[in-house]
Amino acid sequence: MKEYVIDSFGEACPVPLIKAQNKIKEIEVGDVVVLQIDHSCAMKNVPEWARKDGHNVEVEEVDDGEWEVIIEKTH
Amino acid sequence: MEAKTEEKFFNKVQKNEFYKKWLKSAWPYITGAILLSLFQIVTLATTSDPWGVSGTFANWGAWIYEAFGGSVDKWYYFSSEGAQATLEAGLLAHGGSIRNIGIILGALLATLLASQFKFKKIKSKKQVIAAVLGGLMMGYGARIAFGCNIGALFSGIASLSLSGWVFAIGMFGGAIIGSKLLVKFFM
Repeated sequence: MKEYVIDSFGEACPVPLIKAQNKIKEIEVGDVVVLQIDHSCAMKNVPEWARKDGHNVEVEEVDDGEWEVIIEKTH
Repeated sequence: MEAKTEEKFFNKVQKNEFYKKWLKSAWPYITGAILLSLFQIVTLATTSDPWGVSGTFANWGAWIYEAFGGSVDKWYYFSSEGAQATLEAGLLAHGGSIRNIGIILGALLATLLASQFKFKKIKSKKQVIAAVLGGLMMGYGARIAFGCNIGALFSGIASLSLSGWVFAIGMFGGAIIGSKLLVKFFM
C-alpha cells in the first residue's frame, strides 16, 4: 500500500477534484490518496465523487478551514 | 483561569449537535435552492426588480472612477437618466449595493462562525493570470449579456423569460469549453 499526498491548498474548484480523479486513475488498488484542500466546495464535491465511484473516503479537518480528504482506491 | 473557561466553552460549542449541523457543516444543495427561491420572490415582490448581482459592480466601478476624478456621463452604459440618477444618489441609496455588501459580510460571518476563515496562499503566477483573465471575462460577459448567472440566468428563468433559458444554453457551453481550457493550460 502506497500513500500519495496531493497538496491542493490554495486551489479552487474544480482543480482539486480533477487532480484527485487523475491520481486515482494511475495508482494501484489499495493505495491511498491524501488530498489537502482549503476550499469548502472541494470538501463537498471530492468526497461525493469518490463515494459514488465506490472508493473508501474519510474527511478530516486538520486545521481551521483546512481539510484532508483520504481516498482509498477499492477497484 | 479565564482563558481556561473560555477554552472549555468553545470546546463544548464545537461538540454541540446544532452548531455542527447549522453552522459548521455545509447545508445541502436543496436547502440552498429553496432559500434562494424564497429570497428571489421576496426581492421581486418588494423592489419590483428581479435579483441581480453584477450590475451593482459596474456602479461600484463608476463610483471609484469618479472618486479619482473621472466622469462616466458620456459612457453609453451609464448614459440613461435612470443610470445617472442611481449614480448621483450614491452607494447608500442603492439597494443592490446594500444587498451585495450584505452578501459579502454574510459570507464572512458564516465562515467565521464555522471557524473556517483562512487567507489562502497564492500558489503560482499561473493562478494569478487565470484569476485575472477569468474575472475580466466574467465581468465583461455579464455586462454585455445584461446579467450574470443570477441576474440573467436565475432571475430570467424565475421570471419565466425565454432569455434565461438562452443564457443557460450559452453558460453550459461556456462552462464545458472553460473547463477544457482550465485542464489544458492551468493544471
